Amino acid sequence: MSKLTVGRRSILKAGAASLFLAGMPVAGFANAKPPGSISVIILEGGMDGLAAMPPIGDPDLMRMRQTITPDNYLALNDFFGLHPSLKFYAQLMASGHASAVHATAFPYTKRSHFEGQNLIEGGGLSPFSEKTGWLGRALDLSGVAGRSLSLDMPLILRGHHENDNFYPASIRGSKKPKADLLNMIAMGHQMDAAQLFTKVARKSEDNVQVPRDPASLAKYAGRAMAQTDGPVASVIRVSEFDSHSNQTENGNTNEGRLARQLSVVDDVIAGYRRGLGEAWDDAIILTLTEFGRTVAVNGTRGTDHGYGSVGLLAGGSLSNSGVITDWPGLGKKDQFEKRDLMATIDYRSVCAACIEKSLGLDHDLIAAKVFQQPELPRIFDHLFT
Amino acid sequence: MNKQFRIAQKTGLMFRDDEMLPEDMNAWIQSQLQVASPALGLASSYADVAQWPDDLQPDLSRRASMWRRYRDLENQSREGKNGQETQAARQANRHENLTGKMDEHKFVQRNVYGADQVKLRITAFWANHFTIGNTFDTSQMIGHAIDEGILAKLNGSFADLLYGMTTHPGMLTYLDNVWSAGERSEQAKGCARRPDCQAGLNDNLGRELLELHTVSVAAGYTEEDIKAAANVLAGWGIDFSEELSQMRKKAGGTDHWNAYKKRWAEPGSKKVMGQSIYAGRNGLRQLTDFLASHDATIHHISTKLCQHFVSDSPNTEEIEAVKIVWRESEGDLQLIHTKVLELAVNNPDAKFIWPMTWLFQVVRLSGATYFKGWEKIHDYDNKLMHTHKVFEELGQSFWSSRQPNGYSDDKDEWMSAEMFERRVRFADAIYRNGNPRQSAKEIMDRIGASNQTRALVASVGPSWRDRFIALMCSPELMGLDYV
Repeated sequence: MSKLTVGRRSILKAGAASLFLAGMPVAGFANAKPPGSISVIILEGGMDGLAAMPPIGDPDLMRMRQTITPDNYLALNDFFGLHPSLKFYAQLMASGHASAVHATAFPYTKRSHFEGQNLIEGGGLSPFSEKTGWLGRALDLSGVAGRSLSLDMPLILRGHHENDNFYPASIRGSKKPKADLLNMIAMGHQMDAAQLFTKVARKSEDNVQVPRDPASLAKYAGRAMAQTDGPVASVIRVSEFDSHSNQTENGNTNEGRLARQLSVVDDVIAGYRRGLGEAWDDAIILTLTEFGRTVAVNGTRGTDHGYGSVGLLAGGSLSNSGVITDWPGLGKKDQFEKRDLMATIDYRSVCAACIEKSLGLDHDLIAAKVFQQPELPRIFDHLFT
Repeated sequence: MNKQFRIAQKTGLMFRDDEMLPEDMNAWIQSQLQVASPALGLASSYADVAQWPDDLQPDLSRRASMWRRYRDLENQSREGKNGQETQAARQANRHENLTGKMDEHKFVQRNVYGADQVKLRITAFWANHFTIGNTFDTSQMIGHAIDEGILAKLNGSFADLLYGMTTHPGMLTYLDNVWSAGERSEQAKGCARRPDCQAGLNDNLGRELLELHTVSVAAGYTEEDIKAAANVLAGWGIDFSEELSQMRKKAGGTDHWNAYKKRWAEPGSKKVMGQSIYAGRNGLRQLTDFLASHDATIHHISTKLCQHFVSDSPNTEEIEAVKIVWRESEGDLQLIHTKVLELAVNNPDAKFIWPMTWLFQVVRLSGATYFKGWEKIHDYDNKLMHTHKVFEELGQSFWSSRQPNGYSDDKDEWMSAEMFERRVRFADAIYRNGNPRQSAKEIMDRIGASNQTRALVASVGPSWRDRFIALMCSPELMGLDYV
């Protein structure tokens, strides 16, 4: 996996120009800043980075992907375009609050969803080597609690015993219990259980109804994280990126399966933005997917499991907008195993930089204790300065 | 709680409101381990309890052919052929050919109506130990693994159970073994010469066989041991989608529970934790037998059994007692289970009850009808949720997608406000919609509820519903310590 290290290769910030660098604040106050928040959007199924952020300047793109490259893309610069579903994200880019890392992946090349999802959440050296997750371990190290927006704790957040689940019940034929009843039940329990029933009673009084769609959950998460004593991390899953077929509509490359899912991602980011309010300034949101997809279109206007993809980042703690990449090219010889987009940046380095920024941990500590990879390259400066 | 219900709570699913209570509980436990296990349930809400019809309990080969049929029609749907692209046709295809929802419904009904409550509790322990998460394709096989891989083998040896579950198509699919090829297998060598062919070792099952199913990390094995175990496993299992003609060619037969693809197997002998394992299909049985009798396995699983049944913090003597029986009987499950149940009965501590088990117990105690009949499984009901949805909301289901380490036996993992809120909500939903035959007072009298529980129930006021909820969410019924 030596090809994945940043090392001597220079990281190129594409998309500088006028569009993204306008009105950018000057960085340099990292030490004075309190730690921020970190949110991960997990894109399950393997997102096609070449469709989400097509390298329109690459001569091989249209040759190989005409039927699945949106023709209505938003031009970020001479080289990269953005899928038209990512409208809000495009605005963030224009205002310096979003970046992307392209041709990137976790070091996993075997193309199994199950292994891949386990690895990107566990963050160990191989799939199934970890029973805790990278974000959970990072939270452990920084001594703060995370929050999982699902009933069961996802692997990525495991590792910290103070993690607090939240997922509103949706039980047909039952009504929200009255706080009085819950408080009486609490009084019948010993300390630890009593506290939990009291918490249920409190929430019952809050009268908060949380919708279940990802965007509204993101808004809710953002609000919670904006509170002084709120959680500093959140994770949201968006599924169905496994676009083996009908990735685009027949005859309309701007619509279809992937377009719908990318709209969800865009809504999630917008939800976070609204929910976070002023806390947006210290927030970082990043996407995570188990692998990218094949460069070539398959027989069913879709793509198969691949390797490199794109990572989308948003949040006020980014001090710059741009596409960070060491572009490998799309020619047959440039592809990984002659079929996939090569990954030239280890996405763990991106995660490590986001942890460093939001939780204020030292990179060497993150590399050794969170990712068990002491030599993991530090790319913090490319994202945050 | 009186003796009958205290023991039934810890080791079983509680006596239904219409069941006779046994006088001699020790004799009852012994007889429970031997009792027949027909899958009982209801055809509709108003029907009598009856045995599930055979045609809703397909065998493996029928499950595989239904799966192939499902895939075939889905492909036609994708290509817009034969009217299969309509929503109605796709739904009909799912209902007719996918078994997961029906299997989960059967599992739930038999847990609510079964007369074999202790066996069902022990089955749940092993189903969790040998977790097969839902990766969609596995949903066709999970129910079969629970019924035929575990429940049918509860009184045999652990070595048989281990071998059976390791080679079950559900496990081989869930942990990717059906696609694994030995490092020097003919398949891997052949593929290396072709550009668009992939074949290689997948150590997913090899790793979990050691770490979760047998010796655990405490045994101190190495990555090399994992790789060697994976190479022993290479060749076992075949993708459920494979046509039978292809399967015959690759595996020499059409038995999915005994499919071994020689071309994918690793040649030569292997060494796992110092033990030489010979080449060929018999190597796996040699490996699982070696692991089954390993002292680290005996310690690991004896501890788990004690934590699941005896106490939230079992002591060393209790764990030792199970280990002694295990060693002396060479892994006779009937004797091991008997010892564990005896310890559970003799230990006066509270034992936290899993959400799934608690829900079964609430329904059984109250005589509610909270699940649809098997004839109505796909029908919308404005009161009763789909069975799969119930357990998804509750936060525990053997048909959910989850990690291979399964649900925790550690009480602390379940202590969260949301999980508690769901207990309250389901107690409420069962009271409102399940038409329980027993009131809180009647249930408390029958089980001999403690004074603390009676005080708690009295404290919530005169509403019968609130009293029902308070009883079901009391420390006594949740298996928590009292005030």
